[in-house]
Amino acid sequence: MSWRRLLGALVVAALVAAAVAGLLRSSAPARDADPVRTVTQGLRCPACQGESVADSQSPIAAAMREAVAEQLAQGRSPAEIRRWFVERYGDDVLADPPARGLSLLLWAVPALALLGAGAAAVRTLRPSRHRRPVAAAAGRARGGTAAQRVWWVSCAGVMVLVAAVALAADRLDDAQPQGRPADPVAVTLQLARDLERDQRYDAAAELYREALRDRPDDGVQLRLAFALLRAGDAAGAERTVREVLARSPDSPDGLLVLGLAQRSTRPGDAPETLRRFLAVAPRHPAAPEIRRLLGA
Amino acid sequence: MLGDLGTASLTAGLISASLTVPLWLRVALLGRSARQARVATGVTLLAAALACAVLETALLRHDFSVRFVAENGGRHVSGYDTVTSLWSALDGSLLLWLLVLCGYAALLARRRHPPRLHAYAMAVVGVVTTFFFALSALAANPFRSVHPAPVDGPGPNPLLQQHPAMGVHPPLLYLGYLGLVVPFALALAAPLAGPEGRDWLRIARPWTLAAWSALTAGIAMGAWWSYAVLGWGGYWAWDPVENASLMPWLTATAFLHTMLSGALRRARWNSVLACASFLLVLLGTFLTRSGAVASVHAFTESPLGPLLLGLVLLAVLASTLLAGRRDPLPPAPGRTPLLSRATAVLVNGVLLVTIAAVVLIGTVLPLLTEPLTGARSSVGPGYYHRTAVPLAIVVLLLAGVAPAVRRAGDRAAARQLVLPAVAGSVTAAAVGLLSRPGVPALVAFGAAAFTLTGLAGQLGSLLRRRRGARTVRLAALLAHAGLALVALGVAGSSAYGRAQERTVRTGEVVRVSDVSVRLLAVERSAGNGRMAVQARLALTGDGAEHSVAPRLWYDTARDTAVTVPWIATGLRRDTYVTLLSVAADGSTATVRLAVNPLVGVLWCGAALIVGGGLLGFATSVRRIRRRTPPSAPAAPPAAVQVTA
Repeated sequence: MSWRRLLGALVVAALVAAAVAGLLRSSAPARDADPVRTVTQGLRCPACQGESVADSQSPIAAAMREAVAEQLAQGRSPAEIRRWFVERYGDDVLADPPARGLSLLLWAVPALALLGAGAAAVRTLRPSRHRRPVAAAAGRARGGTAAQRVWWVSCAGVMVLVAAVALAADRLDDAQPQGRPADPVAVTLQLARDLERDQRYDAAAELYREALRDRPDDGVQLRLAFALLRAGDAAGAERTVREVLARSPDSPDGLLVLGLAQRSTRPGDAPETLRRFLAVAPRHPAAPEIRRLLGA
Repeated sequence: MLGDLGTASLTAGLISASLTVPLWLRVALLGRSARQARVATGVTLLAAALACAVLETALLRHDFSVRFVAENGGRHVSGYDTVTSLWSALDGSLLLWLLVLCGYAALLARRRHPPRLHAYAMAVVGVVTTFFFALSALAANPFRSVHPAPVDGPGPNPLLQQHPAMGVHPPLLYLGYLGLVVPFALALAAPLAGPEGRDWLRIARPWTLAAWSALTAGIAMGAWWSYAVLGWGGYWAWDPVENASLMPWLTATAFLHTMLSGALRRARWNSVLACASFLLVLLGTFLTRSGAVASVHAFTESPLGPLLLGLVLLAVLASTLLAGRRDPLPPAPGRTPLLSRATAVLVNGVLLVTIAAVVLIGTVLPLLTEPLTGARSSVGPGYYHRTAVPLAIVVLLLAGVAPAVRRAGDRAAARQLVLPAVAGSVTAAAVGLLSRPGVPALVAFGAAAFTLTGLAGQLGSLLRRRRGARTVRLAALLAHAGLALVALGVAGSSAYGRAQERTVRTGEVVRVSDVSVRLLAVERSAGNGRMAVQARLALTGDGAEHSVAPRLWYDTARDTAVTVPWIATGLRRDTYVTLLSVAADGSTATVRLAVNPLVGVLWCGAALIVGGGLLGFATSVRRIRRRTPPSAPAAPPAAVQVTA
């Protein structure tokens, strides 16, 4: 009998040890884990609803993934990369808000619920020593004057409910809808500017296009044209900038980008466009450089 | 013409709904006959049904002078999608909501329950119905006319036109949500109804089981829709709208358990959980219909927010005043053994309430931070993985303990748990040593093995019992086994799912483990208000090769792109191919190939849970029939113990 017990205990101990070993092995980071994915899973895609940068298909997320990969390649730690993103785009970019301020509620509320419900459970389970007297409140007589009065009050209550909805509905008809969603365009633009600073003009142009699709805007279109120009696509830049110039023929930036683009597409027209630019905006920061170009 | 008829039926419904409240209160307070009250409840149902029928007719006839049809109808939309577009936008879905609510009210009105309890409960349902009728008739009337009527409409949201589940998912969810109004009403009525009120749990049980089953099916259907349509390969994203459906499910599950335990019958747990479930339904309605949260499934911004918030506050006030009253009867004295059903049920209740609190604060916090601190914040899946998932694993373990706690005495119960514990640790050891699923998934595998072994052991003794007792236990067993299977599916698919995304030319291959797809061709088509691109790919896996064709289409009217993944479902694993984008000249395509193991097990588990709930529902209905002779006075509570 005791042998059987001992054997049983040994088997159980071996099993538990094996299970613990399995757990330990499982908790170590897997060899094939992709560091880019680990970091991007903690970042929220600004253009989508509730998707992480790792999972999202949007161009912003793709650019952010690239940015993470690049920084990891430069030897930055995941925490540094997260900080970099937070500095640029705010706490909103993190999939999980940092544990400070109001976000502490995320932990306080469940803890309170656990404690409160747990205390109530303990109270329910503990045998009650003193029996409370059975309350006599139950079973008011039916049909008395008090009941009549309660009935009239409830009727009035229903009327008030309907009237309140009617009044509120009337007011709401002209109220402004509230709760605008996050502005993904602003984030897209910020990201595109970052890419431009890193001289990655192709990717930046892609993001500007994305932003333009959501919000047609001459300023953004000019930036797109400029990014295209710097990416070496002078023809594309010219096409883009002509759309802006068709709307506002005297846009100095438009003339500037057009002129620069024409230097590679139609060198004959370029000087005239650039001269027009100088005439329209003689104090533009780029003006001295253009004068130098024209003079040369 | 149709629009006027619809508005008239909404107005008639509003009037009759507001009449039901005083009529039922007259029954409760003054002891009058319930006939007129029943008639008024029936008329309200008719009005709601008429309003739905009118809007369906307008949709099917393409009557674009009706506002809702102009906004959500379209001549290019198929018949099925036209019928389901009734609930594809806020105002129409409110009509379905009303229809379901009035259906429950009419069903409850027909029952012969203890008269005062019944009448008070009906009055509560009447107030809720009145509010939603007022909302629909006064604030969100879908029948308002459009001048001049457009010739065509944009059709419903293209994401909603993609999957047959859309036809049943919202109605099922509404059946679940609104069924919870019955236990809520009974819980509020019980303290008002005096001695009759003690019977409320027995009456509430079948309603709660029916609602809970429908809600479970609705949530599962929503997960399936998300898996099969949204194209990202997942089924649950902790999205606010998904959370809104999960919260009442959690508290209703806790309620189903606490109402079973004899020792708890007089504790306040039951009324608090019954009220909380419906309050969370209302809160979820507020979250999803006010435009307060941004989500894939949320309806667009609407001005109903403040009104719905008002109703939530009113309901919170009413339930605190009524259900929070002191219980007239003290709990039964006596010591409960540690491993008893009462303990298990309470621990389960505590855990489920905590998970509900986690989900609630995670959903609501982004709403609070913006007005208070000015900064936007978001709560991602990581938070829920750290909080809700471990708690859920403990709940699963508890389901495995359930068969043991029926035994008398702690020792006998503990002995019965040895074999499941061995099975659990063997599984954890084997899985953990052979692969690296990560700690949560590994623990979930072990817990599922523990629970399933315990339940299998119970099956033998179950079959030897007599029929009546057998079905009740079988229902619980099915539901618990279903939960374990869901856990297996979730753990397996999240731990072993692999995906690869590549831009390929024709003839090139994307490979994930032993499955690969080769791009054969990219085909474009246009027409019917949409532009579609389809990639033809050859899928090689499991030794066979066949052709698959994921699609990508762009709805011109709504300016939305929809990916239609191609899914090969198997019990062991799903193969999931998505076309993400196509180069302008059609020479390359970006394809995502994913292998999602055990997703089929997840759906089977969900089906088992629903089956268990329905079986429990059928049994509890039979019991009520057997135990209440028609028009007999209420039986004393001791004689109507539902506990098995």
